[in-house]
Amino acid sequence: MRVLGISAHYHDSAAALLVDGEPVCAVQEERLSRRKNDAAFPLSAIEWCLEQGRLEPDQLDAVVFYEKPMLKFERILTMALRGFPRTWRSFPRAMQNALGGKLWVKGIIRSQLGVRTDRILFCEHHQSHAAAAFLSAPTRSAAILTADGVGEWATLTLGRGEVDEDGSTRIQLLREMRFPHSLGMLYSTFTAYLGFPVNEGEYKVMGLAAYGNPTYEGLLKRIARRTPDGGIALDLSWFDFHQSARHSYSRKLVAELGPPREPWDPIDLQSADGRRYADVAASVQRVLEEILVDLARRLQRETGLQDLCLGGGVALNGVANARILRESGFRNVYVPSAPGDAGCALGAALYADRIHFARPHRPVADHPYWGPVADAGELSRVAAEDGFQPLRLPEAELIRRVADELARGRIVGWMQGACELGPRALGNRSILAAPHQHAMRDRLNRSIKYREEFRPFAPAVPLEHADRYFELPAGGGRLARFMSGVFPVRPEWRDKLAAVTHVDGTARLQTVDQAMAPAFHALLEAYGARTGIPVLLNTSFNLAGEPIVNRAIEGYSTFRRSGIDLLVAGDSLVVKDHSAQALPEVA
Amino acid sequence: MRVEPSRLDRLLKPLHRWVWADSRRRARKLFRFAKTEADGARDLARAAELTRDPLLRRLYFRHAADEQRHADLFAGRGRDLLASQGDGGRFEANWLAPGERGLDDLRVEQEADESLLAFLHLSENAAAGRFAVYAEVLDADPQTRALFTRILEDEVFHMTYTRRQLARLSPRKQGLRLWQARAGRVWSAYLRVAAALAAVLGHVFLALQYFFLLPVFALLAKRAARKEAEGFSGARRPTPLTSQY
Repeated sequence: MRVLGISAHYHDSAAALLVDGEPVCAVQEERLSRRKNDAAFPLSAIEWCLEQGRLEPDQLDAVVFYEKPMLKFERILTMALRGFPRTWRSFPRAMQNALGGKLWVKGIIRSQLGVRTDRILFCEHHQSHAAAAFLSAPTRSAAILTADGVGEWATLTLGRGEVDEDGSTRIQLLREMRFPHSLGMLYSTFTAYLGFPVNEGEYKVMGLAAYGNPTYEGLLKRIARRTPDGGIALDLSWFDFHQSARHSYSRKLVAELGPPREPWDPIDLQSADGRRYADVAASVQRVLEEILVDLARRLQRETGLQDLCLGGGVALNGVANARILRESGFRNVYVPSAPGDAGCALGAALYADRIHFARPHRPVADHPYWGPVADAGELSRVAAEDGFQPLRLPEAELIRRVADELARGRIVGWMQGACELGPRALGNRSILAAPHQHAMRDRLNRSIKYREEFRPFAPAVPLEHADRYFELPAGGGRLARFMSGVFPVRPEWRDKLAAVTHVDGTARLQTVDQAMAPAFHALLEAYGARTGIPVLLNTSFNLAGEPIVNRAIEGYSTFRRSGIDLLVAGDSLVVKDHSAQALPEVA
Repeated sequence: MRVEPSRLDRLLKPLHRWVWADSRRRARKLFRFAKTEADGARDLARAAELTRDPLLRRLYFRHAADEQRHADLFAGRGRDLLASQGDGGRFEANWLAPGERGLDDLRVEQEADESLLAFLHLSENAAAGRFAVYAEVLDADPQTRALFTRILEDEVFHMTYTRRQLARLSPRKQGLRLWQARAGRVWSAYLRVAAALAAVLGHVFLALQYFFLLPVFALLAKRAARKEAEGFSGARRPTPLTSQY
């Protein structure tokens, strides 16, 4: 059975292919189109997946879309009616948006792929999240918590999943919170208030929060009031997102908190405004964490289960995830590499296979590397054309050379194997550097990432050494597999890991399992043999405003335009040579 | 090479002067230009990734670096202006002063090297003319004027290299490529106007429906909303995957 999963139209569109119950490949459209957070119908991703599976569209048994468009439209229309007459500006825009394309998903899929209509299926948004989280986790029985901005109506669901001995699978969502009462929208609203792009800048709020004090916690708790059954009720007088396409927060919020930050305003943490922004970030982060921990704790008591699968965009909040692991009573917390909408392509396909077609469950390979493979030959060819001297080295020599260069303070662009699914670079499309000094962080910010100084960089460490450097609770190593948790750096190592230790002494680490990423693991070990600390700074291989690189040529382009010293794609290595970049007179 | 503003821009000079007179509006426009330049830098980097011609690749990388530097310069000047003046006026008249390629949607993947060079040449030419007129009307702000003058030097390089490379790659058809690029720009402009007009008409039509057809349903929806309980609801009973509801 061949099932194609698709997510599209809001943010992060993607496609995933399942053959006989096992994922073959999955990729976000942005990695191929090179438009960050590309939400367009993922035709390139679909074509690539079909090519990988050597399939024609008519050979697919099912194409599953990750949400139910008519149900979503019902919510949009209902909210416009509820907000009458204040929604008069947003209504035409919303209708044009929906009627102009997003509503007609079935027709789009049929016309683009030529598949029969009866093979086009629709999985509910949060069911897709739940399936992505549960069916890809190494567990047979788990509680499930999904939370994001909004799907059709649901914004947060609590449920459980089970796989029986015979492989039959059940995912049961027990309760849900409905729009407009949404933890994701609460966080996004403050993301917008703080001048960051919504659906993209939320992790900046999390980073900024560490610099502030939660002085507005009381206000936030009034804004997001807890209900007796453990849910939340947003006081909508502070928001505009439910009745406006342009503004997420109301004038009342601005009157209470002061002027919002403009996107181009630098955040100066020494200034009063800078401290206010940090305090606002700390407050919303604190409230989010407390609600999530409480919800997870109640769910654990209710289900009595040991494992929790987290899905939805809110599951990208590593600080909250770590608190859930420590405080909720669950022994393991599983977050997939793509808990947001991109991962729903895989989730919808898995849901259709296991639940709709009732096929027996098969464990999903426990790694995030489902995308296109970097071509070492492409890098060698292009680099040679441009006057560089690329080297092709056996793996052991390549790792020795790269570890030497990293130990000398060089910054390395590292591309190995298949591209990751999800927003994190997990060792296959990473920029690597020595993690020991603040100066390295500043250098990366200044010459490569061009990003705000308050944002931390992440460390990667072999799983077996993680406990030595980081204070991991039981299950922490697992949560850090896909960089989904933020944990304290042990105080005695903070000075030696200064470039990856955030201001509050924590780090969003990745624990590298040798079986999952052997080359990356070997590089960490080799670096440890030289420096005594097998930890590297690992940041996504992209420049500001661009998606993570996919092909070797895109890595090369990033290398040419930034302060990266050394580029590796597969077994091909190129060292920065400024004379090779000079322009000839003929130009 | 000296860059002259177009005749139209010369005619509209008083309007340009008015648009650029307000320092807060000026700051906002510079931020918009910064974004456009940064987008342009990404387009050019993509062009460098896609071309098979090593010389073009180097030139596109250089061009991309220039555009990124311009973006940083525009943003920096915008920040300085806001820091000294505070924020204010929202009206920016972007239709009049859109910045470099501000209104042209470039799809690098769909362009051959020759047509891309022709497009870039025309686009740089137009931008240079516009930047020249901005520099002329900014007599009250010598720093911003100096910024435009400095960027103009890069624009001249961009105009020159795109023309030369077009001549190298397409020595016989360079004129045709330029005319095709001009026609493409006119067609894009027509599509923009048509799409904008259609959007306005659709907007008006939907707004009328909103006020004439929806009030009764709105009342019902509001009444139903009041009956909704706070907090959790039972999860919606799953519908078959064949259903869109």
